[in-house]
Amino acid sequence: MLYVVLFFLIFSLYLYVLLGGADYGAGIVELFSSKENQKITKKTIYRVMGPVWEANHIWIIILIVILWIAFPAYYNIMVVNLHIPLTIFLLGVTLRGVAFVFRHYDAVIDNSQKLYDGMFKISSLVTPIFLGMVFGALISGEIKVVDDVSSLTFYEVFIHPWLNVFTVLVGFFFAALCAFLSAVLLIGEAAAINRTIYVRKAAIATIVVVLIGFITFIYGYFFDHVFVSEFIKNPYAMIAMLLSGLFLIPLWIAIRKSRRVVSRFFAGLQVFLILFAALIAHFPEIIILENGSVSLLENIAPDSVIKVLGISLIIGGAVILPGLFHLLKSFKMIKILEPTERESV
Amino acid sequence: MENLDAARLQMAFTLIFHIIFACIGMVMPFFMVVSHYKWLKTKDEVYLTLTKSWQKGVAIFFVTGAVSGTALSFELGLLWPEFMKHAGPIIGMPFSLEGAAFFVEAIALGFYLYGWNKLPERFHWFTGVIIGISGVASGILVVAANGWMNAPSGFDYVNGEFLNIDPIQAMLNPAWFTQALHMTLAAFTATGFAVAGIHAYQVYKGRKINLHTKAFKIAITFGAVAAILQPISGDISAKDIAERQPVKLAAMEAHYHTEKGAPLYIGGIVDAETQEVSYKIAIPNALSFLAFGDFDAEVKGLNDFPEDERPNVPIVHYAFQTMVGIGSILMLAGVLYFISLKKKKWLVNTKYWIFFVLLAPLGFIALEAGWIVTEVGRQPWIIHKIMRTKDAVTPMPGIVFSFYTYVAVYLTLSVAVTWLMIRQIKVLNSSNT
Repeated sequence: MLYVVLFFLIFSLYLYVLLGGADYGAGIVELFSSKENQKITKKTIYRVMGPVWEANHIWIIILIVILWIAFPAYYNIMVVNLHIPLTIFLLGVTLRGVAFVFRHYDAVIDNSQKLYDGMFKISSLVTPIFLGMVFGALISGEIKVVDDVSSLTFYEVFIHPWLNVFTVLVGFFFAALCAFLSAVLLIGEAAAINRTIYVRKAAIATIVVVLIGFITFIYGYFFDHVFVSEFIKNPYAMIAMLLSGLFLIPLWIAIRKSRRVVSRFFAGLQVFLILFAALIAHFPEIIILENGSVSLLENIAPDSVIKVLGISLIIGGAVILPGLFHLLKSFKMIKILEPTERESV
Repeated sequence: MENLDAARLQMAFTLIFHIIFACIGMVMPFFMVVSHYKWLKTKDEVYLTLTKSWQKGVAIFFVTGAVSGTALSFELGLLWPEFMKHAGPIIGMPFSLEGAAFFVEAIALGFYLYGWNKLPERFHWFTGVIIGISGVASGILVVAANGWMNAPSGFDYVNGEFLNIDPIQAMLNPAWFTQALHMTLAAFTATGFAVAGIHAYQVYKGRKINLHTKAFKIAITFGAVAAILQPISGDISAKDIAERQPVKLAAMEAHYHTEKGAPLYIGGIVDAETQEVSYKIAIPNALSFLAFGDFDAEVKGLNDFPEDERPNVPIVHYAFQTMVGIGSILMLAGVLYFISLKKKKWLVNTKYWIFFVLLAPLGFIALEAGWIVTEVGRQPWIIHKIMRTKDAVTPMPGIVFSFYTYVAVYLTLSVAVTWLMIRQIKVLNSSNT
């Protein structure tokens, strides 16, 4: 049953990065668009994300609930040591969600739209950066777990672990990845004349992702960062990273040829490979502390808890996944399953 | 301010808001599907306009409820890490099921909001019903988790360790049913009277009388039925608490001295120093009867409990009085509404509408007061008789800043949501149907 729980944990993480990521990315793409393109993007986002964006964000709740039930020691380190970035992340989620609803459900369309749009775009950028920083902090080897915090300064325990060059790089990496996912998604959803906007955005985002990834590694290599040095030593992680580099080629061919399903498949695969590489480098030690690391496979809840959780996840999954698939099929995917406009002309 | 106080205030503050959003998001879908049903049956355009307008309300409150709920799922750990470390695995069951129910609700909401003219009519309507049912299920599950804090079960506590954990027994703890029943009825009462009050105000102002009267009737019917049933549930709760948490009952009643044939205090000002209650109305033997069904039963007073195991008596007592007082008013108002169905004349009397306008906020005040009774009344424990709240709080100093941030954000949000609702109603009034 532990493996069922682990599967759902990683599955929710993957889906959150993929779907939630594309969702954040939509706001980032909108932020970095010209005024005219912003309007087009806003409309497209609403059409594409409207029915599903709530569902996209529930994955993180599932993730966090699985963490606290099955891996309480893990969850404990996150909530105690990363209190500040998690709180900022939460405020971002709150403001972003509210802005999204306000801008689409306000009965009166007037100047307040500017405020909602601004709130939406900025929180779309800031929120994933902080989420990335949280993840970066977990693998940074800077977290200090001590019984008595009073022997250290506030900065040492509660700020430095998440606010350093490495975590900031990971934060920006994640935000760029979100923008990339969203741009690829929007290429397939935009009207034919607007498609080039998103092709260009996808190109820029790809470059930024690769660049930040590269800088992170160079930085980690020269400063002997524990995560990076272990990553380089791990053959699976390296293979995954090489594959993700190689698969950029078919991805771009697919984008150029407007093969929407194929390009999305490769974008999803990219995320899978990146996550796989990041997790496998240290598995099962997903949290790297300053003095040692915490294994995911140790410190787990008692068997009785894992068993019940596994069963509820299987039942929940059996109810939710078909419903979700149907929802995606009914609204978002319909367009993609239909012949492309070029083909139909 | 001490960390513990700041953390408690932040938790209370965010919960107070979340409860409002969550209740409306949970109950309004029912109003919406009733109106939708009437539209399908009668093809009266007014019902369609109403359904679509309520649907926007549902969407807005669902999202605000969802994001404040997401924040809470993190806050439990951010503020009370020591509690979650031990309690998380034990009460994980209702939370994971709640996650599932919430997911179903989000999917159904997606179908409903975007399904107009795209989905088959009946299926579309049915997705609305699912929103309501899964919303109520979510609410019940979360309350079950709270019930566990009041009535911890499903484990053995040996030398400070939680052993032999049984998550199902923890979920079906002795408090879950009474609390969930009381809360569900309260949600329907509060939302019913609040929504009805808003529409009553529109009728009073003479705007779209036909539409707003129809809206009023749908909302108040739910509210009135729930308000009339609530005292029964309250009685079950009182008897349950008398058994399980006698100190909480004593605090609710400001009952300091153990006695047989204890009187029931209505109102009164509590002096915690002298342990006296002045200006009260005392009904002889009534407390014994309400708690144990026996006029001469012995009711334990606060003095029978160690001082460091008592909650703040005045807060619990005043909150309890507020809840019961309002509950009684709303129950009578519910009865009055059903009488008014026979008296057509009342509907043209402005006093009738003003009466319901004035009642609009009361349900929510009672609901919040009720939660203050449960939560403050549980103190000093975070897990009754097992873990103290002060031992569960985060070691990170400076929570007070986090508290102020939350206050600023939530107050801004509530102003914004209110403003949005006012705009919604204005547009509704200027539409053609």
